[in-house]
Amino acid sequence: MFSKRARLWLGLIATLSLLSLASSCGGAKTDDNTNTGDKSGKPFVAKGDEGTITGKISYTGAAPEAKKIDTSADAACTAKSPNLTTEDWAIKDGKLANTYVYIKSGTLADGSKIGDWTFETPATPAALDQNGCHYKPHVLGVMVNQPITITNSDPTTHNIHFTPKNNPDWNQSQPNGAASMTHKLAVAEVLIPVKCNQHPWMKSYVGVTKHPFFAVSAEDGSFTIKGVPPGKYTVVAWHEGGANGTEKTMEVTVPAKGSAPADFSFGASALGQPSSLQMLPAIEFPMPMKH
Amino acid sequence: MSKGVHRFALLVACATFFLIIAGANVTSHDAGLATSDWPRSNGTFFPKMVGNLFWEHGHRIVATAVGLLTIALAIYLQVRERRSWVKRLGWIALGGVIAQGLLGGLTVKMNLPLVVSAAHATLAQLFFLITVSLAVFTSRSWVTPDSSVTEDGEGVSIRALCVVALAVILTQLVLGATLRHSATWDQDLPTALLLAHVGGAIVVTLVLGATVATVWLRHRTEKYLTRPALVAVTFLFIQLLLGLAAYITRAASPYDPQPLTPMISVTVAHVACGALVFATTIVLTLRVFRLLRIDRQEYVLAPA
Repeated sequence: MFSKRARLWLGLIATLSLLSLASSCGGAKTDDNTNTGDKSGKPFVAKGDEGTITGKISYTGAAPEAKKIDTSADAACTAKSPNLTTEDWAIKDGKLANTYVYIKSGTLADGSKIGDWTFETPATPAALDQNGCHYKPHVLGVMVNQPITITNSDPTTHNIHFTPKNNPDWNQSQPNGAASMTHKLAVAEVLIPVKCNQHPWMKSYVGVTKHPFFAVSAEDGSFTIKGVPPGKYTVVAWHEGGANGTEKTMEVTVPAKGSAPADFSFGASALGQPSSLQMLPAIEFPMPMKH
Repeated sequence: MSKGVHRFALLVACATFFLIIAGANVTSHDAGLATSDWPRSNGTFFPKMVGNLFWEHGHRIVATAVGLLTIALAIYLQVRERRSWVKRLGWIALGGVIAQGLLGGLTVKMNLPLVVSAAHATLAQLFFLITVSLAVFTSRSWVTPDSSVTEDGEGVSIRALCVVALAVILTQLVLGATLRHSATWDQDLPTALLLAHVGGAIVVTLVLGATVATVWLRHRTEKYLTRPALVAVTFLFIQLLLGLAAYITRAASPYDPQPLTPMISVTVAHVACGALVFATTIVLTLRVFRLLRIDRQEYVLAPA
């Protein structure tokens, strides 16, 4: 009835139809990665001798100017945020906000590694709001499988798109007035870029760790990581500046019931801005992903 | 042969070219996932066209129009065309556009995996090949050619050169599509793919240059051949300049707060001009096959 070629085409179209249908019916509305967290290790129980890591994030050199964002593609954004600017370098009096600080590794006073322990995931969700066509907060820290409540406070539709390397890619449209959505990330990952493809200037970063020892620097550059068991740790400060973000590392010893200082400084070297003669580095240094 | 069929086939080819431009705009604006919905956008077929949804939903509207035009063309050919193989090509075009629409939906629902997105961009060029070919096959000059040129069969075959040129251009278009889909505007382009695309540009320049030069040297008086050859090489020259400009603007884009007009316009023009190089080479190739007759001499071994 059909020629060989016609059968081939019909087969191809049928296959694509089935694949499209299957993916459409997949129901990405619910998060399916909630039960895959790593539960190995001993549950950590606070002994009452925990200390803190506290410090300030500084920026040395002339502060880069925030760039004006053109929101004219969506009048609702222009009306709500007429003077929107980039948030990558939030610097005030030489202090840098939106820097994610966390314990990368370390040894507790009893000789055990921090990775040997499991920590209770907070039931309280972290909040991520789309407000004025930008994300609040700009940088967010959560624990593995901690719920993130996503809200849209704008009179326009957003799509929230997590673009991780180790967790599944997740993209959901959220119209104005829609109910909040919840998303969980099952694998530790520092840091996951979050964006809105509807408004491509909107960017946020979410850090996911297996433990609660992280903080994001405030407007005055200060941060505090509380409840840290005494021990020696590698503490990392991560900032989105630079082609793939910039990390600063420091060894910190936390005394029992005491406070350990950890001040970090970022400078112009983290800017990563191309000059007119820096076109070729894209060839010289492979950088497939910008995180 | 009907003038109306030819004009309609030409319209479908032009609409397909416009669709390729609309698709390039989606990629350059990073608008492919502006809605997680498909085939509807944000739950409706008529969403508010703001932000990047303008580009994504606009692309879907243009694609729907091209799909409807292709249905009409397939029926039109069925009714007015006498050559059965041309009728079949009309149905193949319809199958192609349906497959292309499904691939587009699939890539949105799967959050733009590189393989599916690159396949979507590649099938776009293959569909363009079919529509341009249909426009050529239904033209008066194809049905009743003014002349026929006989080649002696010695030296490099122009037919072979044209086919190789088409193959390397298609490969280069696939490489370009994969490169564009492998990194969004805020990420650096992957080095290996970038170098492959640059290498592809050199190969296309050499092969198409040699093809056009051979056509010009052997058949300078045959405007039927020299015209598409010269147009193809002109588009190629523009395309090389656009490629350089696209690289310069794209290398700076990861540091921009959002995709900016210079990068978008230059990269979209680069995609469009690539399609034009392909289209003119298709026309040249088909005309070469139609016009040139190879005179194969038979050699008989002399008796010992």
